Amino acid sequence: MTPRLTSTAGLPPLLACLGLLALWELAARVFQISGLPPAHEALRQLPALLADREALFNIADSVRRMAIGFGLALLLAVPVGLLMGRSRLIAAFFNPLLMIIYPVPKAALMPIIMLWLGVGDASKTLVIFLGVSLPVIYHSYQGARAVEEKMLWSAAAMGMRPLQRLVRIVLPAALPEVFVGIRTGLVLALITMVTSEMIARQAGVGNILFNSLDMALYDTVYAMIVIIGGLGFILDLLFERLRAWLVAWAEPVHQIAVGTS
Amino acid sequence: MIAIEGLSKSFETARRSSHTALADISLNVAAGEFVSILGPSGCGKSTLLYIVGGFVPPTEGTVAVNGKPVTGPGPDRGPVFQEFALFPWKTVLGNVMYGLLERGMARSKAEERARALIGLVHLKGYEHFYPKELSGGMKQRVAIARTLAYGPSILLMDEPFGALDAHTRTGLQNELLDIWERDRKTVLFVTHSVEEAVFLSDRVVVLTRSPGRIKQTVAIGLSRPRRRAQLLVDRRYQTLVVDIERLMDAPEEAP
Repeated sequence: MTPRLTSTAGLPPLLACLGLLALWELAARVFQISGLPPAHEALRQLPALLADREALFNIADSVRRMAIGFGLALLLAVPVGLLMGRSRLIAAFFNPLLMIIYPVPKAALMPIIMLWLGVGDASKTLVIFLGVSLPVIYHSYQGARAVEEKMLWSAAAMGMRPLQRLVRIVLPAALPEVFVGIRTGLVLALITMVTSEMIARQAGVGNILFNSLDMALYDTVYAMIVIIGGLGFILDLLFERLRAWLVAWAEPVHQIAVGTS
Repeated sequence: MIAIEGLSKSFETARRSSHTALADISLNVAAGEFVSILGPSGCGKSTLLYIVGGFVPPTEGTVAVNGKPVTGPGPDRGPVFQEFALFPWKTVLGNVMYGLLERGMARSKAEERARALIGLVHLKGYEHFYPKELSGGMKQRVAIARTLAYGPSILLMDEPFGALDAHTRTGLQNELLDIWERDRKTVLFVTHSVEEAVFLSDRVVVLTRSPGRIKQTVAIGLSRPRRRAQLLVDRRYQTLVVDIERLMDAPEEAP
């Protein structure tokens, strides 16, 4: 890469965003649909939304649920995935379960979960938890499975017991792959956060979004979509920073092998 | 020191048939002896090493180290693998210290010992490098230092220089002999290179192709310390290499 390109790393994504806004504005003006207000009208709602106590409370409420669901999912999914990767018996037990659950859209489970847990926090958090768990389990499993046997043997020769090896060898060795799963999980957390609120509306981002939709306040709807997108962008950016810092020692995960080093 | 008695190993293959990798291996290795296991690829020579290490159980037979039967891995037997198997999230220093901290040594003392070993394998200045930043030869030096650190009385070396280029390989062979001359640990060294086996060893055990049986054991009577430049023009060295190569090529007698 030339120095000129690296010095303007922020430019291409900025151009992409501006291009998208321009397309949106143009489409709104050409098609004149009430459901598609021009970009500038929607964006004008942003400061109002972000300054509104009620709206901020809703956003914070969503993010809180997402954080709890996401956190609980990591606590469960990482150990389960790692154990599956190192024990054929545990993998044989969990694999069919995961195969069944994975393709089911988690939001589709929402009505059933609401029958058990009501329309409150518990249902929405559980849906987020399910959405996040699966990719994290899957990638932790793959990561743990790929840990070099000889690395574990080296640790065993030093006197390390199997459980210690799981925590102190398998976990760090699999961490780059685990993070791939967590990143996917983060995106899914955001998606399930919104869809869960679409079905059980009380408070939250989805609540504002879908209530505005019902009331045909389309500029607010689009402003909310922009806010959700922005939230995802910021979370992903923060996560990538954290990841780069924690696994700086790792070879790039998607490395193309050319020759030997 | 190492007593291997009637050892056999069979695997279940994917097609559910049984494959015998090693058959009826009996071998004694004395304390301080450098013994190489030499054989064609697929003869189970690495498997033999893994069984002595306690990483893989034998199908039949026993291995005892200092009179005690081997039931699992232990810090008395330090492995060095062809794949290096370094901990990639640890620096050079962290890797070499790992076993020492694991054995309960105080951090400051462990670091002191690790730094000395890093000097011994000529990696001074690389203490804070991560494995991905090192060449293959440097990685293997770290792996050797990491294993030497916790003071195993036996080194189990599984084609340690097999993944390295010829130049690095001979360099590391020389360094290994220098290190070995200092305290003459017992070494079991697996290789498919005849020159390497003859250059390093007191005894070379030649295995047959699958299943691996002991074809012949050859004593290498060359004096120590050995210098490569002298050995290469030494008639006895040349004869040993040629004889063992012939031995490996010779058709196998039916058992």
